[in-house]
Order: sequence, then C-alpha cells, then structure tokens
Amino acid sequence: MKNIKNTKMELSQETMSVGFVKKVEALSGSSVRRCFQCGKCSAGCPMRSFMDHPPNRIVRLIQLGQWERVLAGRSIWYCASCETCSTRCPNKVDLAAIMDALRKLSWDADGPSKESYVQLANRLFINNIRTYGRQYEMRLAAVFNVKSGQFLKDLMLGPKLLSKGKLKMFHQKNKNLSEIEKIFTRIEEMRKKGEAP
Amino acid sequence: MNGNIAMKNVLDYSYYPGCSMHASAKEYDESTRGLFKSLKIGLHEVPDWFCCGATPAHNVDELLSLALCAKNLELAEQVEGDLAVACAACFSRLKVTQHKLGENDIKRKQVEKAIDAKVSLDKPVKHLLEILAQDFGLERLNAAVEKPLSGLKVAPYYGCLLTRPPDVPELDCVEAPTIMERVIGATGAETVSWSHRMECCGANFTLSRPGVVLKLTGDILASAKRAGADCIVVACPLCHGNLDIRQKEIEEVTGEEYNMPVFYITQLLALAVGVNPGKLGFGSMIVNPTPLLKEKNLI
Repeated sequence: MKNIKNTKMELSQETMSVGFVKKVEALSGSSVRRCFQCGKCSAGCPMRSFMDHPPNRIVRLIQLGQWERVLAGRSIWYCASCETCSTRCPNKVDLAAIMDALRKLSWDADGPSKESYVQLANRLFINNIRTYGRQYEMRLAAVFNVKSGQFLKDLMLGPKLLSKGKLKMFHQKNKNLSEIEKIFTRIEEMRKKGEAP
Repeated sequence: MNGNIAMKNVLDYSYYPGCSMHASAKEYDESTRGLFKSLKIGLHEVPDWFCCGATPAHNVDELLSLALCAKNLELAEQVEGDLAVACAACFSRLKVTQHKLGENDIKRKQVEKAIDAKVSLDKPVKHLLEILAQDFGLERLNAAVEKPLSGLKVAPYYGCLLTRPPDVPELDCVEAPTIMERVIGATGAETVSWSHRMECCGANFTLSRPGVVLKLTGDILASAKRAGADCIVVACPLCHGNLDIRQKEIEEVTGEEYNMPVFYITQLLALAVGVNPGKLGFGSMIVNPTPLLKEKNLI
C-alpha cells in the first residue's frame, strides 16, 4: 500500500470552486480564505448543537469546494445571527455575514435545504412588511401554523397573550404604505437588470 | 415665565419604537414614555415609521434590510433630536446600516436607488441605555430616585444585539459591558454576577423552532437562578418574549421551578423614580411580578 503520509495532496482551483468562494466573499464583504480553522467560532456558537456542520466546518467545506453540502444542509438556517463568531474571530472573518450570504444564495436558488420552517417564517415576516409596513404578530403566528401544518402549535399561548393585550386583533396602519411597496418593486427591478445582487 | 422654564425638557429625542413596542412589548413602550416624562426627557415619535426588517430581512436579503433601515433614517430626519431606539434589534439594524452605508459606496448607491432618495447617515442613533447613562448621566439619574430598589437582586441580561458586532453599536465593551449594571445600580438595586448575561436566547426561532428557544432560554433562566437573582432585566422585546412568555413551558420541560419575573429595564427605573406602578404594564407580564415587588416593599 502506498504511504500517503508524506505525499503531497494537490487540489485544483476547480476542485476548490474558487468562483463560489469569491461570490460569497463579494456578498458578505468578508474573506473566506483567511480562516485557519482555530474553531473559536464553533466554541462560542450557541446554536452548534442544532447544526449538522458547526460554523468552522462550514467555512472549511466552502474552502474545499463542498459548497453544495453547505447549501443543502440545515446549519445555515440554524444560525441565530447572534454575531458571537464574528466578535471572537482572531483573523477577522465575519462569519455572521458569510452566513447571511450563504442563506441568500440558498434562498435565491430556492435550493434543496432541509430546513423549511425557518425559511417559511422569514418569508412570512418579509411579506408582512410588504403588506402592512410593520409586523403584525398575530397574523405572523396564525399563518405560520396553517402553512407549516402545526395547527395546535402554541395553542394555549394565543388567548393568554390576547388577554394581556400583547397580541393585537388588528394591524397597525401606515399612511405612507405605498412607499414600502415601491421599495420592494424597485429592488426587484434592479435585480432583473442585474444592478443589484 | 419661570414655570415655563422649569417645565422645559432637559433633553429632546426623536423616537423609533419598532413594531413590538406597539404590541407584544407594550409595557416597554409605556414604561419608557413614563420614565422619560418623569426625567423631563422629550420623546417625539417618528411619524409613519416602517419595520426595520429585523433578523429575517438581513438573513436572506441584505439590500432589502439596508433599504428599510435607510428609509426609516430618512423618515427620522423629519423630527429633531438624536434618534432614540428601545428595541435592541431595531437599534442594531439601524446602526449596522449606518456603518455599512458609510463605508461602502456600492451598497450606498444601490440603497439610494431602492429608496429613491439620498441616504442620511448623520443622525446619531442611540439606545435608551446610552441616553440614560451618558446623555442624562448616572448622577442625575441617581438623584432622581425617589424609591430606592435596595434589596432587589437583579440579573441584567444583555443578549446579543446591544453590544455585538464589534465596532458597530458602540454602546459598551463588546465582551464585558457594564452599562446595564451601572444604570440599574443607580437605583440602589443589587446586580448579580452571572454566566449567561450575553448568551443568545434563541430570538426569532420562537416562531419557527420553539425547541431551540426552550433549550437556550432554559439555560439562561437556570444561570440567573444559580446566581441568586430575584428577577431578570432586559432591554429587548424578543429576549423578553422568550424569557417571560416561554418560562412556563420551560418549567414544564425541565421540571425546574423558576417563577422569575422578567422586567424591562425602563419598568424598574420608572418605578424607582416614582412613576405610578399602575402605569408600568406589570399586569401585561406573564410571570406575575407583584409578589416579588410587594415582598421588597416596592409597591
């Protein structure tokens, strides 16, 4: 058997998918290549026990061209954006921004991620802004339960919050609501023309 | 004439409450207004502000997130005074937007196109804590205390977004902040030293994956109890929602009894400076704080 211990491993630019790395770096404004795998991000990450790949491994997988595994997994959707990783990185890798970039790439591609509930919640939250201008918590929770098929989720909580005045039956109304729609439309147009990521 | 001068506010701010303050965190809004009125600090709400986009927007669409915050900063220009923000998430998003658009011309131009206006980044965005500790001043706050909260052991909970990411909120030290301890300390309350004051509560997973919140928030409650705290104090509606609203469920899952009231920092401060307790929204809290406040002779 060949002794592989002292043989040099060679990785081509194609294997490492440098194109994808550059895309993530452009979107996030942070270097991916600078990570030297100290693991400090994962040590402080409150969500690591819920992730299939801890944060430092996410970066390593991207460095090695395994980005499809990252986008298909649930780790990126289980990041809470608490920014602990970015705060503690000794090499100034902004991992929280990299997570945002990876979620955007997965979101835009409507990719095969295993985590659908978080994506559904995000989608409803953003739709609420477009429709009402502000969050409308009651509708957010109700539509989430219907669309995720969890009709009984937090069933006991709703009436309690209503009685405490913490959930409103009606949404807040903005006089300038048409302006929010214009922002959404302009962004869509910019993307169609390739003027914005 | 003299009377008029005495009635004049010592400080004036424009105010961005954020969505939660008008719904699930209404006691934060009520107590903030009560406290500021009592201290003669003016708060003037920005008309027709929009949602800042919070975490879900920047999670998948940075341009939308920046555009929503830039639009709010533009709306805030209508009202004079630095922009006071109560919610830690709104505060973080507005500060991040100012930071990113200030240093990145490409992003700034994209956002200007999206909101069809020049972005205005000059108005200082300040969290309530910053206003109280720095602009108003701790000595003055201390002097305004009518009912010292002595004997109350408080666990100040920062969560994620008041201090992180580094260089952005500029509120306090990113890993070892003391601003909450200093502000609460001015009322005579005792603050405990505890391990989980900056750990994440699970935030908006409360909707999509409540199991995550039960674990993370459960650890925070356990840590506060270990430290001997009577109550937890927060400055973020999401942290409050998780610690207060989900507490009963956490007790059921872990079998541990907490019965730990979770106050907004403005509720305790307003109580200390003599605002009528009936106007501080104690009745809206899920974990009833009345027994604790009675035991400590505070109401």
